[in-house]
Amino acid sequence: MADPADLLPGTLELLVLKALSLEPMHGWGIGQRIDQLSGDVFKIQQGSLYPALQRMLRKGSIRAEWRTTVNSRRARYYRLTANGQRQLEAESALWQRTAAAVNGILRVRMVER
Amino acid sequence: MISDLLERLRALVLRRRWNQDLDDEMRFHLDQDATARVRAGADPAMARREARLAFGGVDRYKEATRDASGVRAFEELVADTRFALRALRRNPAFTATAVGVLALAIGAAAAVFTVVQAVLFAELPYPQAGRLVRVYQYYSPTFLGTISVVDYEAIRDQQRTMDGFGIARWGSATLTGLGPPAAIPVVRVTSGFFRALQTPAAAGRLIEPGDDPVSAPPVVVVSDAFASHHLGGNTTAVGRTVTLDGRPHTVIGVLPPGVAELAGMPAVAWPVLQPATPTRRGPFGLRGIGRLKEGVTLEEAIRDLAGISERIFPLWEAGFKDKVARLRPYPLRDTIVGRATGQLSLFAGAVVLVLLVAIANVATLMLVRAAARQHELSVRATLGASRPRLARLVVTEGLVLTAFASALGLGVAAIGLNLVGLIAPELPRAREIAWNGGTAMVAAALAVTSGLLVSFSPVAAVLGGTMLTHAPADTRRSGGGRRTGLVRGVLVAAEFALAVPLLLAAALLGNSFLRLQRVPLGYDVAANFEVRIALPAQRYSDSVAVPAFWRRVLQAALETPGVEAAGLATAAPPDMQGDVNNFNLVAHPVPPGANEPLSPWASASPGYFTALGIPLLEGRMFTVGDSGAAPPGDPRNAPPVAIVSRSWAQHYFPGERAVGQQLIEGGCYECPRTTIVGIVGDVKYQGLDGDGDGVYVPMAQANPREATLFVRTRGAPVGFMQPVLENLRRLDPDLPLRGVPMADQVRSALADPRRWTAVLTAFAAAALALSALGIFGLMSYVVRRQRREIGVRMALGAEPRQVTAMIVARGMRFVGAGMIVGLALTMLEGRWLGALLYGVTPRDPATTALVAALLLGAALLACLLPGIRAARIRPMEAIVAE
Repeated sequence: MADPADLLPGTLELLVLKALSLEPMHGWGIGQRIDQLSGDVFKIQQGSLYPALQRMLRKGSIRAEWRTTVNSRRARYYRLTANGQRQLEAESALWQRTAAAVNGILRVRMVER
Repeated sequence: MISDLLERLRALVLRRRWNQDLDDEMRFHLDQDATARVRAGADPAMARREARLAFGGVDRYKEATRDASGVRAFEELVADTRFALRALRRNPAFTATAVGVLALAIGAAAAVFTVVQAVLFAELPYPQAGRLVRVYQYYSPTFLGTISVVDYEAIRDQQRTMDGFGIARWGSATLTGLGPPAAIPVVRVTSGFFRALQTPAAAGRLIEPGDDPVSAPPVVVVSDAFASHHLGGNTTAVGRTVTLDGRPHTVIGVLPPGVAELAGMPAVAWPVLQPATPTRRGPFGLRGIGRLKEGVTLEEAIRDLAGISERIFPLWEAGFKDKVARLRPYPLRDTIVGRATGQLSLFAGAVVLVLLVAIANVATLMLVRAAARQHELSVRATLGASRPRLARLVVTEGLVLTAFASALGLGVAAIGLNLVGLIAPELPRAREIAWNGGTAMVAAALAVTSGLLVSFSPVAAVLGGTMLTHAPADTRRSGGGRRTGLVRGVLVAAEFALAVPLLLAAALLGNSFLRLQRVPLGYDVAANFEVRIALPAQRYSDSVAVPAFWRRVLQAALETPGVEAAGLATAAPPDMQGDVNNFNLVAHPVPPGANEPLSPWASASPGYFTALGIPLLEGRMFTVGDSGAAPPGDPRNAPPVAIVSRSWAQHYFPGERAVGQQLIEGGCYECPRTTIVGIVGDVKYQGLDGDGDGVYVPMAQANPREATLFVRTRGAPVGFMQPVLENLRRLDPDLPLRGVPMADQVRSALADPRRWTAVLTAFAAAALALSALGIFGLMSYVVRRQRREIGVRMALGAEPRQVTAMIVARGMRFVGAGMIVGLALTMLEGRWLGALLYGVTPRDPATTALVAALLLGAALLACLLPGIRAARIRPMEAIVAE
């Protein structure tokens, strides 16, 4: 799964939410974290993060501010809002249910064969 | 929700900054990635490339992020608007015409909306004003009278449905002691009046129950303007004394600034009304104002007051025979704005029609223009612009146009609202009219609606494809498609359909106005002037002092050089009828319990008829021996007499001799009968459109304290007014006196219809001009489009005359259809117009024919010009040119 278009709709946002729930970070950091957490299963195109972040800013699930990094460079840091936290919980739950249901279906088909 | 708006706003307003941030952020990302790769052992030269690869196209994601910021639609709108502005600037004549026409129409509509809202719909400016009522003496649905002291006391003591009830008598008072004596408008009220209205005082207090008894010291509440003009401001005013009608009144309170009328009665002072104990049911002349209790319906109040009417009727039956008359409450607002409803509806209707004509006109212009730009639009379509995109371009153009028009229209509305006082000085609640947020909202709403309306037909043409189906090369030859042609025709027809009712209304009002000007007044105006005189009860208390003073007034006037005749009367033609009285004919009485007839009833001295040149047709004038020569009740008094007008005599004694007949006056069946001694010519007392009924009684018989002196002078009255007034002032320097030439009175009686006619004529002229412009524009366009076809016809032998006839006929088809619809529309307007017309019916055939001829003539002329131009086309040039 190299292209974000291959992700299920909304999955990228869910991954970003999860990544940011650990700590505030900048765009590159988010990409790194997702790669790392997924064990490089999701090799998302880094650029696609930015439209997603823009959408999430408008939704109010994250907030952005310019900070200085340890290497004293200016970078834009994103952090989860209370709203985003709720969204993460709701969407994780939904994902779990969906995944469980899909798994169940897949298992049935295997038995039939 | 809010974060969404803020984010969008940031992206929009701080655009440059936003883009800079995005660039910075992405550059940081790439740098960071490259650094990480180098640290992981990659070749520094390759790391940069790999980072870019991992990122995916930088520009692509920049665009995607910009899309995600949600301002794309707005950016397109900006582009469209720029395009529209450019297109409009390229064609300044079209733009100026369209914007000008719409600005005037939108401005007028917004102004009229404001007026209608303030006058007809806004609540009166009192707390919970919906509960306020005015109590009338109800005789019949068309005749509501004022109430009397008897009624007031009965309602005050017996009603169970109102929280406060008071009476008001509207009139004038003589103010002395503060500069020269002046007549000021006052409303004399009881404490219940203020209690019902619940209006606050800005300083001091209002009239309270303790002030009501006759024995209480007289007090007055004044307006803020009066306090600051005469009493040095509202704080120093309270406690001062002002002399009204010769009686000192203590100022107890001042109303808030800007309050110049209460319950629909403009005044500057509200003195306490302390009615004496009544001895009979009348006299009337009082307005009852009450506030319904919380939760009480009007129906309950009607029943409550009807019960009171039934209880008081038997007590005062001797002087009041009208058994069916009832005390009855009406919502106060209706009674104040009632008479304005018809006029305002007419005005508003006219403005709406003009607005619609204007929109139809601009829509025609837009459509013709869009068709002229067909080539351009086709090219755009060929280059890949989708139809919705093209439609959006056209709509944006329409909206930009109407947005400009609307902004200008607000200026027009502001000017219009300032002119309201000029156009309709008699309008009730005029002081409450002001430019407000509603005006701006209406203008904005009209901008959007008219913007959509004017772009509707060109958009339909674009979407329907009639404009784009032809290959670009072909477009010049076609008429722009059959369907577009039809839409244009319908628009032009609509303009004529809407113009017909406007023109007819204007023509009917004009007709009616001309008739009013020719109405025989029944008296001379050229060499006469009048002076209103009111004698304060304080100084002229008894029935000896009053007639004695009137005699001295007549004498003083007649002794002035240049005065040929002088007389007194309580009425003043053409529109002040003095009193109205009920009467019963001894020879032909009305059935028991039925309403007695009413007639204008004036006290007059014999000199009145001489001064005004009113002819004695039959019988005799009043003489010294008539009733009233001795004090009332004196047995030496002769029985009462009356002189009637010719119309009155014909009305009540058709085919009989009226002189010598007797009548019972004012429902007093115990009083001596009044005998008719003479018949005089008709005089208009109830306005120029009123009838000529009238009854006159000798001055001494009713002994009025207020009357008008009429003076006939040798030649124009202007030079003689001052000497007469000086002589009168010598009799009593405290009377406020002002001379008015009678010709001025007639002119002001005509002022109202003159204004209405002028306003409607202006609207009608605008509609006529727009309609003619519309058909002219359309036919010019058709000729331009069909140059080649016309050329071919002429090459094949068509006469120039035939070509002209063809064009004219085609245009007149639309006009004719529109006019038929328009004539049908006129059937609807009679209801509003009827009350404003004199001597013509709303469907007067001659006027209708005139209007139709005028419109047809204008349309013919407007079609003829392009028709003639068509006939001048040189066939070869037209065919070869393509």
